Amino acid sequence: MSDRVSRRAFLAAAGAVGATWLFVDPQRLQAALVHARKTVLQPPPFRFDVLTPAQAADLEAICMRIFPSDGTPGAKEAGVIHFLDKALATFAAPQKDFVLNGLADVNQKAAAKWPGTTSFAALKPEQQDEYLKSIEQTPFFGQTRFATCVGMFGNPSYGGNQGEVGWKLIGFESHGIYQPPFGYYDAEAQKGG
Amino acid sequence: MQSRPQARYAPGETVDFVIVGSGAAGGVLAKQLSTRGYSVVVLEAGPRLAPSDFKHDEFSYWLNGDLAPKTPVTWRQTEQEEARVGQGGIFRASLVGGSSVHFTANFWRLHEIDFIERSKLGAIPGANLADWPITYADLEPYYTMVDWEVGVSGTPGPFDPPRSRPYPLPPMPVKSSGVLFERGATKLGLHPQSAPLAILSKPFNGRNACQHCGYCIGFGCEFGAKSSSLASVIPVAEATGKCEIRPNSYVRKVELDARGRATGVTYFDADKKEQFQRAKAVILSANGAETPKLLLMSTSSQFPNGLANSSGYVGKHLMFNGNTGTMALFEHQLNEYKSVQATRLIHDFYDSDAKRGFYGGGGIDARFQQYPIAFALGALPPDSPSWGSEYKKLVSDYFNRTMMSAGHTTSLPVESNNVTLHPTVKDDWGLPALRITYKDHDDDIKIMKFMAAKSEEILQAAGAQKVWSFPVGVSGGTAHLLGTCRMGKDPKTSVIDANHRTHDVPNLFLCDGSSMVTSGRGQPTMTIMALAFRAGERIANLAKRGEI
Repeated sequence: MSDRVSRRAFLAAAGAVGATWLFVDPQRLQAALVHARKTVLQPPPFRFDVLTPAQAADLEAICMRIFPSDGTPGAKEAGVIHFLDKALATFAAPQKDFVLNGLADVNQKAAAKWPGTTSFAALKPEQQDEYLKSIEQTPFFGQTRFATCVGMFGNPSYGGNQGEVGWKLIGFESHGIYQPPFGYYDAEAQKGG
Repeated sequence: MQSRPQARYAPGETVDFVIVGSGAAGGVLAKQLSTRGYSVVVLEAGPRLAPSDFKHDEFSYWLNGDLAPKTPVTWRQTEQEEARVGQGGIFRASLVGGSSVHFTANFWRLHEIDFIERSKLGAIPGANLADWPITYADLEPYYTMVDWEVGVSGTPGPFDPPRSRPYPLPPMPVKSSGVLFERGATKLGLHPQSAPLAILSKPFNGRNACQHCGYCIGFGCEFGAKSSSLASVIPVAEATGKCEIRPNSYVRKVELDARGRATGVTYFDADKKEQFQRAKAVILSANGAETPKLLLMSTSSQFPNGLANSSGYVGKHLMFNGNTGTMALFEHQLNEYKSVQATRLIHDFYDSDAKRGFYGGGGIDARFQQYPIAFALGALPPDSPSWGSEYKKLVSDYFNRTMMSAGHTTSLPVESNNVTLHPTVKDDWGLPALRITYKDHDDDIKIMKFMAAKSEEILQAAGAQKVWSFPVGVSGGTAHLLGTCRMGKDPKTSVIDANHRTHDVPNLFLCDGSSMVTSGRGQPTMTIMALAFRAGERIANLAKRGEI
């Protein structure tokens, strides 16, 4: 490739903590794709492969604070949790303990902070935000954010971005073929000239 | 597309040439030699993929490196540090066609000055700047060959070096980023021009024109419109019936006889079984990391410090090209994800200028850079939140209203920036892992900062609502691997001569990014292909005269 800008900028922006748990070998990824396609075809109720319902609820609650469903679709509607579960079942399997331990830690600390709390998912959104703010700089949050972005904006074939809601949110089409004009300014220039 | 006649050679059969690597250089050399009647085996470490195998899948190609080799690479900034895996990255594609398959296809020629900077500017402290043994005029006919045989779209700009023939194809249609960049640059009295690209703006040589899908940088082109060696010259080489491209073949040693001549190469086949391909001459085109690695691994009693390394220059003077990224937000939709990456650029700051107080120069282009995942992860202004409602709003509002300007700059040849073998870490074949040592020269950092500042001025002048740059610092990754087996007249201070023949072994040639004496201003692939067209012709002439 002729430029490395994007990757450098991308890695810098993703932060040292963000980029590890989804970097794995392509064979596992292929297996995951097959797996994801299969599970997409499964009728509801959806069964998680790795996460217990409680773990899935807590992890999804974190994803939903990263991309909230605030009038437009967020992580919930994109099915990010399904992407994460499939990833942990397949190509990101080596990171399973990291994620599950991180979740357990979140629940423990949330219970310590708000006595009587049964789970992170059961907290009010404001409390969830307050807690997440306190762990913003941790590898667990960084990697969860990273994975949430992939589940939000990656190809739907991986189990997330369901119905392309992530792409629709930002106005990214996936037609594959376009003709000029592509945007407002080149259209304007074309008219003018 | 072209059919593939199956030239097949047994490893024990002596072919005229064995070429290691099938990328920008190896593919062109295979074409040049096989069309002149020579038997050629090309050993490629990666698999062979068809255009229909290429996917529009950011996660797979960008995050998981589906096209990249998975073997460990170690990295450090200085020779005093211990190199570790994961400290930095070299971004390359491992498949037939090499990195010419996944590159962005920016296709700048070097200018006259790139070949003669040492004599024009004098010595630069902390660097080992040298003139090339050839000039722009020597290479010009081969740049033109690249234009016409590989397929390049463009139109000359005001700072371009002279050309003997026009571009074969008109420039790609301008995108909104190009219109805005042109507006800003013109306001500042600069001279924007079309970005030359190795992408077909119209059907050419039986190949499809670009369909503007937008998946260039980091992706393979399923339309065959990107002028990779896989799409352009490899089919021509194979059509001769004299050239075999052998994928999944990783070469571990160039073998020598008692007279000091290369007899062929030892490689691991698809089953990781060792094979020996016999050849009358050996050409390494594995680019600036793997070519020196292979030489350093090819030790013998005659060459205890690595093959063709009597100068000690093998692996030294690694150059990356500096890069900067400046983002800008505009009022209306740009939809930059459509079509090719870059359509306009400036070369006003190409030459080094003593008035700036440091060495260096480069170009700035207007482009699309971040696909959706990368955009969400890290393209927003630095003062933006990184999660929550406000973050989500910015990601969705900004994605189609932003563009990037990238600066592409010089890297000085510094002796301690190099490619060596790691003493303990092993690669996937049980061989010493690559060890990259790289810290940009101070002037390289200064020119990057200069380009980022200029990019900001241009985008402000274009009427951006907001402009922000990614931080400039020491390089942590690269796709450009240049200068590590430099070309030169003096065997004491270079590895190959102007014919790409190693000074030490008469039938061993090197041609790829490692041959480059200076870095140019980014976008080295055009020059690597031109060098390969020239080398192929000269090597064939040497063979014809019985001088190999």
